[in-house]
Amino acid sequence: MSRILTRRSVLRLSAAGTGLFVAGRYFTGTTFAAPPPLEQQDTYTIGFAQTDLNNPWRIAESKSMQDEAAARGYTLVETNANEDTAKQIADVKSLIAQGVDILIFPPRESQALAPVVMEAKAAGIPVILIDRDVDHSIAAPGEDYVTFIGSDFIDQGRRAAEWLAEATGGEARIIQLEGTTGADPAIDRQQGFEDYLAGMVQGSPTPDGPIAGMEIIASQTGNFTRDQGREVMQTLLQANPDVTAVYAHNDEMAIGAIAALQEAGRAPGEDVTLVSIDGSNAALDAIVDGTLGATVESSPFFGPIAFATMDQYIAGEEIPDWVKVEDRFFDESNAAEFQGTQY
Amino acid sequence: MAVPTPRPARAMEPLAASRRPGFDLRAVLQTSQTARALAALVVLLVYNVLFTTNFVSLGTFNANLTQVATIVIVAVGMTFVIATGGVDLSVGSLMAVSGVLAPLFLVSGGQFGAPWVGLVLAFTVPVAVTALFGLFNGTLVTKVGLQPIIATLVLFLAGRGIAQVIVNGELREFRNLGSPLVPGFEFIGLGGIAGVRFQILIMAVVVAVAAWALRATVFGRYVLATGGNEAASRLAGVPIQKVKLTVYTISGLLAGIAGLIVVAINRSSDPHRVGELMELDAIAAVAVGGTPLSGGRATILGTLLGALIIQLLRFTLISHNISDGVARIVIAAVIVVAVLLQRQRTS
Repeated sequence: MSRILTRRSVLRLSAAGTGLFVAGRYFTGTTFAAPPPLEQQDTYTIGFAQTDLNNPWRIAESKSMQDEAAARGYTLVETNANEDTAKQIADVKSLIAQGVDILIFPPRESQALAPVVMEAKAAGIPVILIDRDVDHSIAAPGEDYVTFIGSDFIDQGRRAAEWLAEATGGEARIIQLEGTTGADPAIDRQQGFEDYLAGMVQGSPTPDGPIAGMEIIASQTGNFTRDQGREVMQTLLQANPDVTAVYAHNDEMAIGAIAALQEAGRAPGEDVTLVSIDGSNAALDAIVDGTLGATVESSPFFGPIAFATMDQYIAGEEIPDWVKVEDRFFDESNAAEFQGTQY
Repeated sequence: MAVPTPRPARAMEPLAASRRPGFDLRAVLQTSQTARALAALVVLLVYNVLFTTNFVSLGTFNANLTQVATIVIVAVGMTFVIATGGVDLSVGSLMAVSGVLAPLFLVSGGQFGAPWVGLVLAFTVPVAVTALFGLFNGTLVTKVGLQPIIATLVLFLAGRGIAQVIVNGELREFRNLGSPLVPGFEFIGLGGIAGVRFQILIMAVVVAVAAWALRATVFGRYVLATGGNEAASRLAGVPIQKVKLTVYTISGLLAGIAGLIVVAINRSSDPHRVGELMELDAIAAVAVGGTPLSGGRATILGTLLGALIIQLLRFTLISHNISDGVARIVIAAVIVVAVLLQRQRTS
């Protein structure tokens, strides 16, 4: 006990000091009620920290960002976290260290990525979040970062339900193929759909009220994949041969379900009506074939809207806390027109 | 024929004849592990017949067997590997490799001389490549001396990466290939002979050949000897290295076949999703079937039963619309019970 300062206590003290310093920076940061400004320049370096490139949607998102940056002659510095939250945090930190002009990225987890948004603010770099948001109790849009640009997943579910109600005349026995359990899009798309059937939209009753003739007879996860969508549909079809409609949380599962229905001798598009979400090329092909009824777009094409929002911010315009992506709707009336233009 | 004859003490037996070669149904059923697995399967079947709507139907039969086919095919390879005391984590990734390679040969014109050459290549090249990857696994285990779990972790990670690089990370739709060869290729996943789906027949052949090889061939004896006591087997003249190289190659080859089936069924090849978590499904089937993960003993029939039990359990839970979270807990509980039963037997 003779030594007062052991190696460990020095480490502890320095850690505490760093923590205080960081906390201090956050507090001083939050006293400015606006994100750091961005000067008018000829060109910009944009830091884009992608979560992963493990599915066509993410690949389309990255390509959209790259194309838009190239069209404007800006430099896009892209990183890929490969589905690893810690890696994305490190990626964003290194982009901050590189001194990019602005950060645009989809935070992989809403809580884990919030502190680096604050770090960017402290470093004087404005942040625009796309497709996923951070926890507003840690970092607030309009104060700590410019805005969140993304689709309204609940509204996507509502639009699917509305179309299905009309297509089936309000009479349907529905199998719901859910996305990955616990994922935000899965939770919201289920809520939007089920609320509409129960006669609710955004917490207030619809004029028509609950739709008694539309019943969800089974609801199981297909993990957003074609293979599991097919297997789960195959199984549910045995126990529920009276099914007349399928609502899939994404296109891939709907396409799997179509295969399962055809295999069982059913006629998807005729005796079973299918609706899904995403707006992929494969879904448009299926709509043209007549097997899929409709798909609500969940656009991955963030490039144009993200850069346009950045322009507005540079110009000092007022930007809402949530810039909603205008998702299109594809059914037999317009699917052929857009065939091959999606992802 | 089946009159039990008194056996000489084990130590006196030559290694390669510690059990009488040849298929003997009674002997199979007498191994308590297989009997337990069979009993569990029967319980599940009876429950479903009583309580699941439309369970007794051709549709249910086909749905279950088509869904379980790829797991069984991969799990048979896994059984051989586990019998030598190893494990193969790379099978799912190798399925993805095979799945992305096949469409490369499904091209429209006469790039390979005659069109049918492309079709033959689409079936053979992917499987040959994954077999070579399996051989690579075996080489890491034998020549480099890596632990099997580490050795096969290499291709678990790199294999999927290779699959992604080959197609630039993109999902490939077969209908967009515009090739007349596609329907011929899809036969492996969607075709049938006399009303029985083709992948069920593949599964049956794989199981029959593997069960025979394990029980009735010198190779089968060598596999079990290697896993039972490697040092003693080496002294007794068992070619340990060759045996290990062979089992990993078989595992890679079977994973390749399973990959072809999956992409044919889905009419698309997704390098990120094909074979995802297959290594765990296969290991679970082997464990539930009664093959100890320590090696030295193995039962192909058990593996088939193990896969069928897990499949039927999943089918039952989904049919009754049990939520995903509860379903996972039930499946985990079944695996725990199976492993506990196994421990009782070994101790």
